[in-house]
Amino acid sequence: MSNAPHILVIDDELQIQRAIRTILTEKGFNVTTASRGEEGLTMAAANEPDIVILDLGLPDMDGVEVCTRLREWTQCPIIILSVRDSERDKVGALDKGADDYLTKPFGIEELLARVRVALRHSANRKGTQSKVVHAGPITIDLAWHSVKRGDEDVKLTATEYKLLAYLAANHGRVLTHQSILANVWDPADSEHTEYLRVYMRQLRKKLELDPERPQIILTEPGIGYRFIADD
Amino acid sequence: MNKTAMRSSTFLSRSSQYLLALGIIALVTAFLFILREVLDTALVALLYLIPLGLITAFLGLGPGITSALVTFFTFNYFFIQPYYNLTVHHPTDVVILVIFLIVAIVISQLVGRMKTGLAAATAREREATQLYELSTALAGLHDGRTIAEILAKQVQDVSHGEAVELSITGADSFVFRLPDSIEPVRAPEWIFPIQVARGALGEIRLWRAAPALTSSEKRLLQTFASQGALALERARLAQAESRARILEESDQLKSVILSSVSHELRTPLSTIKAAASSLRSNEVSWDSAARSELIAAIDDEADHLNMLVGNLLDMSRIESGVLKPKREWNILPEIVESVLARMKRMAGEHHVEVDVPESLPLVPVDFVQMEQVFTNLLSNSVKYAPGKSVIRVRAFVEENSMHVIVSNQGPQVPQEHLERIFDKFFRLTATDKVTGTGLGLSICKGIIEAHGGRLWAENVPDGLAFNFTFPLIWEGMSPPKMPMDTETE
Repeated sequence: MSNAPHILVIDDELQIQRAIRTILTEKGFNVTTASRGEEGLTMAAANEPDIVILDLGLPDMDGVEVCTRLREWTQCPIIILSVRDSERDKVGALDKGADDYLTKPFGIEELLARVRVALRHSANRKGTQSKVVHAGPITIDLAWHSVKRGDEDVKLTATEYKLLAYLAANHGRVLTHQSILANVWDPADSEHTEYLRVYMRQLRKKLELDPERPQIILTEPGIGYRFIADD
Repeated sequence: MNKTAMRSSTFLSRSSQYLLALGIIALVTAFLFILREVLDTALVALLYLIPLGLITAFLGLGPGITSALVTFFTFNYFFIQPYYNLTVHHPTDVVILVIFLIVAIVISQLVGRMKTGLAAATAREREATQLYELSTALAGLHDGRTIAEILAKQVQDVSHGEAVELSITGADSFVFRLPDSIEPVRAPEWIFPIQVARGALGEIRLWRAAPALTSSEKRLLQTFASQGALALERARLAQAESRARILEESDQLKSVILSSVSHELRTPLSTIKAAASSLRSNEVSWDSAARSELIAAIDDEADHLNMLVGNLLDMSRIESGVLKPKREWNILPEIVESVLARMKRMAGEHHVEVDVPESLPLVPVDFVQMEQVFTNLLSNSVKYAPGKSVIRVRAFVEENSMHVIVSNQGPQVPQEHLERIFDKFFRLTATDKVTGTGLGLSICKGIIEAHGGRLWAENVPDGLAFNFTFPLIWEGMSPPKMPMDTETE
């Protein structure tokens, strides 16, 4: 039991707590729950969980605040679970260090998928990060700066490569427009989402089998993009 | 301008009027003096009466009486023997003189009184005209500020003061000043309260140091103040009434919406309840196919319920004006593709033809909201158009706007309902025949209007077309052209 990944659920709705605990325990995770922000922070400090699942509307403090305080000392993945569905709330939490965002009501399969991505990330963070990312027919070697479709080189411009490399290195995670612009372009360009859109479109045309129905780089409407790598 | 000229003629020349009267008398005396030998004394007296009458008529009672007295002496001095002194020898001359004096004064009095009466009548007429102008100008106004402006202008017109200020008290208190450029340095000379039975609504302040207001001017300005009070009171009552009416209407609308909403919410809830309670029931042992069917029903209806709540939230955000588009320069084909990719399963057997070329300029829209517009319009088309029919999406630039048409081969909408289909919960089809929230189209309209655009529906030969346009210029900027880098890694 001690080897099972430990998940801390901070949510004040007991029904949700019960549902998540039941399904995650069933899937072999070690689950603890907290109903208040302060309680959650204390439990996180005591148990050092592998993943935190966090509600934004807590009775004693805002979930974004919990997120900020967790990030002061831990890099463990944080998955936000909230009824707030505005893009502003999502971007706000993601920019404060959350790794993922799921809107209530959610399907349990969706939650399990996000948990798996988060676990892989925390494993990558702890151990050696894989320098080669596979996504369908595309192989990206981050060490050698090469992008291949099968055996064939894919010709990318410098900016396109930088963009792709940033997305691939963070595969599975939602990256906000602002964070992509700040990392690939310049923090000063963080308002120019049109750059991002235009380059993303070019990139998809070179990578995706059907650029109109992208499978590798997904759009998170109003928030950003997510790179889907093979497991 | 006219009024000012008139006023100065009566004010300036009070002393010169007397001088003019005396001059006329001197001239007439000189003329009669030349003809003294041929004229009879009685005739001279009669001839003297003509200028006297004219003087009184044109220069007023004062100069008239004065002239009459002066003439009495000149007549006696120059025309009654013995000449050049004021003694009278003939008794007839005494009679002539006395009659002359009486007649001269009576004529002057009569003409003068007539003239004063005429002047008073003219003044009354002017007052009445001014009052009429004011009440016509104020009639039908429901805005306190406009009423104050008009009142101030009229007060300024009739009083010719240096400045007029209208101070309105109450919930929306304000001060209107004429001329507005000058801040008065001293206290106003005249203040007229604007009052109704309930109390003071404000006051008219008038700066006019000299001349002091005449009693008729005061009376007129007081009347103006009470006219203004009436107009302001009427405006306030009208506003209160329209507020009450709006509240009542929105109350009615709310109860209509509430009943629609509870109907819409109960439909999926009943399915969920029925399915869940069936699964719990011990009466029946479900085979696995029936079981998974019931579970799928619960799942689908929960999604439907969630969509409904989401739409209701969006609608209330649109109506309260909270839903501000987060505009960015977006690629329209990307938005359309992303919607179509997500709707692929739903579009099912419909054939979607897309003509949204890459060459279109970037569009200044909220990505998520615009996605929702396309989603709602397309799902509406899917819902009502027969299977295997064609749904077309077309976008093109029209002057400085983007024009998008989503058309389907579904049933046409009666002309009188083309606008109403965008109303909340308006449906042409009975609710139990079509699933949905009854909010999709009104949300689209709200979003497009928040983007400064317009959404409308029209019947086309083979179906129905939704059209919308929105401006391509955003914050004074045209769509940016992208700098491309071509060098490869």
